[in-house]
Amino acid sequence: MPKFTLDGKEISFEAGETVMEAAWREGIEIPHYCWHPGLSVAANCRMCLVHVESGRQMAMPQLAFDEAKGEYVPTTKPKLQPACQLAAAEDMVVSSTNDEVKTAQASVQEFLLLNHPVDCPICDQAGECKLQDYYYEHQGTLKRKLTEPVHKPKGVRFGPTIVYDAERCIMCTRCIRVCDEVAKDHVLDMRERGNKNEIILAPGRELDHKYTLMTEHVCPVGALTSQDFRFKARVWFLKSAQGVCTGCATGCNTHVDYDPRNGKIYRLRPRDNAEVNQFWMCDDGMMTYARHDTDRLLMPTVGRGEERVPVGEDEALDLATEKLNAVEASKLAVVLSAQHTTEDNLALAKLAAALGAERLYLAALGGWEGDDILRSEDRNPNRAGATQAVGGATLKSVPDLLTDVQSGAVQGVLALGWATAEKLEELAPLVALDGVVSLTSHVGALPAVASVTIPVADTFEVDGSFVNAKGLTQAFPPTLSPPADIEPAWKTISDLAGKLGKDLGFKDLQGLRQGLVDAAEAAQ
Amino acid sequence: MRLNMGPSHPAMHGTIRMVIDLDGETLVNLDVQPGYLHRGFEKSCERGTWAQVFPYADRLNYVSPMLNNVGWALAVEKLLEIEVPERCQYYRVILGELARISDHFTCNGASAMELGAFTPFLWLLKVRDWVWDILERETGARMTHSFGRIGGMAAPPTATFKDDVLRVIPEVHKVVKETEIMLLRNRIFLDRMQGVGVLTKEQALSYGVTGPMARSTGIPYDVRKDHPYLVYDRFDFDVPVGEDGDNWDRFMVRLEEIRQSVRIIEQAIEQMPDDGPINVDDPRIVFPEKSDVYTTIEATIAHFKLVMEGLRTPKGEVYSFTEGGNGELGFHIVSDGSGTPYRVRVRPPCWYNLAAAREMLLGGMIADIIPTFGSVNMIGGECDR
Repeated sequence: MPKFTLDGKEISFEAGETVMEAAWREGIEIPHYCWHPGLSVAANCRMCLVHVESGRQMAMPQLAFDEAKGEYVPTTKPKLQPACQLAAAEDMVVSSTNDEVKTAQASVQEFLLLNHPVDCPICDQAGECKLQDYYYEHQGTLKRKLTEPVHKPKGVRFGPTIVYDAERCIMCTRCIRVCDEVAKDHVLDMRERGNKNEIILAPGRELDHKYTLMTEHVCPVGALTSQDFRFKARVWFLKSAQGVCTGCATGCNTHVDYDPRNGKIYRLRPRDNAEVNQFWMCDDGMMTYARHDTDRLLMPTVGRGEERVPVGEDEALDLATEKLNAVEASKLAVVLSAQHTTEDNLALAKLAAALGAERLYLAALGGWEGDDILRSEDRNPNRAGATQAVGGATLKSVPDLLTDVQSGAVQGVLALGWATAEKLEELAPLVALDGVVSLTSHVGALPAVASVTIPVADTFEVDGSFVNAKGLTQAFPPTLSPPADIEPAWKTISDLAGKLGKDLGFKDLQGLRQGLVDAAEAAQ
Repeated sequence: MRLNMGPSHPAMHGTIRMVIDLDGETLVNLDVQPGYLHRGFEKSCERGTWAQVFPYADRLNYVSPMLNNVGWALAVEKLLEIEVPERCQYYRVILGELARISDHFTCNGASAMELGAFTPFLWLLKVRDWVWDILERETGARMTHSFGRIGGMAAPPTATFKDDVLRVIPEVHKVVKETEIMLLRNRIFLDRMQGVGVLTKEQALSYGVTGPMARSTGIPYDVRKDHPYLVYDRFDFDVPVGEDGDNWDRFMVRLEEIRQSVRIIEQAIEQMPDDGPINVDDPRIVFPEKSDVYTTIEATIAHFKLVMEGLRTPKGEVYSFTEGGNGELGFHIVSDGSGTPYRVRVRPPCWYNLAAAREMLLGGMIADIIPTFGSVNMIGGECDR
């Protein structure tokens, strides 16, 4: 591979790559605002100016202050070039740290802050703002401009998800490009020039496509803020864990930002993964975190409707055992969940096998639109994983289950998860059965028709994995601990198996995962 | 007979324990056990910013906190490769020497008191209070000032600073003289001090003993003279040394050092500019003015960064050392380039001085523990950290 030199370090590149791209791949960040690895090159922020020290030097005329003469005299300075647009060439020698470049970086930074409002204390970006970082790294001088800053519109509603502040905006156009190039919807553009520049909506439009939160995500400053996250948390209190989006079968990689002080998740951010989601996520996926602490089931319950009462963990497991024992194995339906991890589903499949129950069903969510960008047709993150868990056997659907219940073929149900496409009314036939046991993290239609519900941990609280639509297995660690006395579903299933007198052949997560490997091999 | 002294004993300086084996009144064996005042200073530094170490540093040798403050500031400044403005250097010297005077007042006063001479103790502490009045006017606190800042000081000198110092100097001279009159020809005092708790030059060197204790044995090592920092190379002052390394010499060295500190202060006051900046001119190191923070984005960001992430130091490590009240006070700091110290190691002079205490006491009388240990001047906050 050809090589060029950046600040004394050799960097290899592929033909056509820019200096910025090649450096970025090597983990070297040349300061930049408008460049983004997933977007086209705009080269308008001028923060990435570098000096090509090799080859013929281009000179720019300038006036420089001459101390001796006490006046400005004409002189020249080297012409700097934006690294984001500068194609790398063999044996090129580039400096991003020499005095010329440092002056340019400090000047660009000072220019960008000329009219910037004193907003850090009320700005959601503070703490992860490039203006702050680069001020500290590259400028470090106080204000020289004595006049009132130019004022522009603040708090402009761009749509249901995004608020725009023109005063904070540095006009990098990343948001425009993300709409154009990722969402394929030219809904944003810019108007005016100079210090009147601002981002505007297309006439008659709102920023309302399916990737609006990506505009906020790429905004290097606090100009675009998300309605959802706005004023909710200060980022320096947040910690980040790795996750996989539960929104659909694409399985976009996420950063889960949570506050360790109160155990609350505040937002998701896309985590770069060239194999899955590149740099992006859709709005619905970004909002899946909200489900985490709404409608959680925190206590086991027994009974239905008005007679539903909370009970202790042990009592619930005993009752579930009693009810399951009362049903013949051939008439027991075991419902897996396309929303639960492969590990949870595998534990349940093992229990079904141990009980000799061969009627396996899969509950999954519906009501979702896919697209050809990121969104899969399937709203469930782990349909493929559930199928793997049963060694590739066919899983019948919930409507099949309802038919089987009505025909009398099924007389008891053990179901995992809350997620069904079917509404409560549609699940009415299940109410006729005495033994419907639901292991669920949230309340929902399926738990509502169950005679025994046992709470389990949700996706953000487990160490598990999903298999996405492409068949890629993606593991993720737990972000938070489950609420008191609640365990991951595979553990609860293992406890239930103990009560039923069955040995599922694993003691811990590692043992269970070995079963997953075996199941995968069996499927092949 | 085996006897436990301390860790909470009215005659012990600081919280320290000694296990003593006695034959009659003679010490045949001795085990000095420090560690009762360990507060995790070094570990505490590893969370929080570089600037947040100042309050911890105050509580090292809490009898002369200003010297620790300046020592820490100099260490981080060495890492940053910056130098504070000249006016600040003089300011630091004067405040530091005032702290040294109060440190020696305390040590010598307590030594006398423990031998039954209560009066000099009260006299010395009376003047120490006047010295502290100056420190209080300058810093807002009598003892734990937290007044040092990386790149300068928390505030410039007050308008009356020089006058205040000049007014207290005659009082310092006077009380030193009075102490001498009171003690130096007192038979009881002489008997308890001379030839007691002898530390030889060789022992001092082998234990790494520094400060007045090393100088009392005849080693003329003083960081201010041998490795000048701040503006110490601009002053004319002597390094007093003893000959015998006994309690008497330590007492006399400290007494003379008070006079030498006064000499330094007098010269510094003469040379110190009356105006000019106190802090380095870099908003990435020193907080910008509040009025700027409230009205300009640049200062807001600088303030935000300094508070939230702390000033960032270059990757690397330095050892920076100054003359503390008890000897060479060193900070060995390691930076990973972030706003938080990666590792801080303190070389507390007391720790090394205390190590020699056992040999100084062995073979002596039990009653001599008190004056000898007093003249070692172990300060728990610094020794145990």
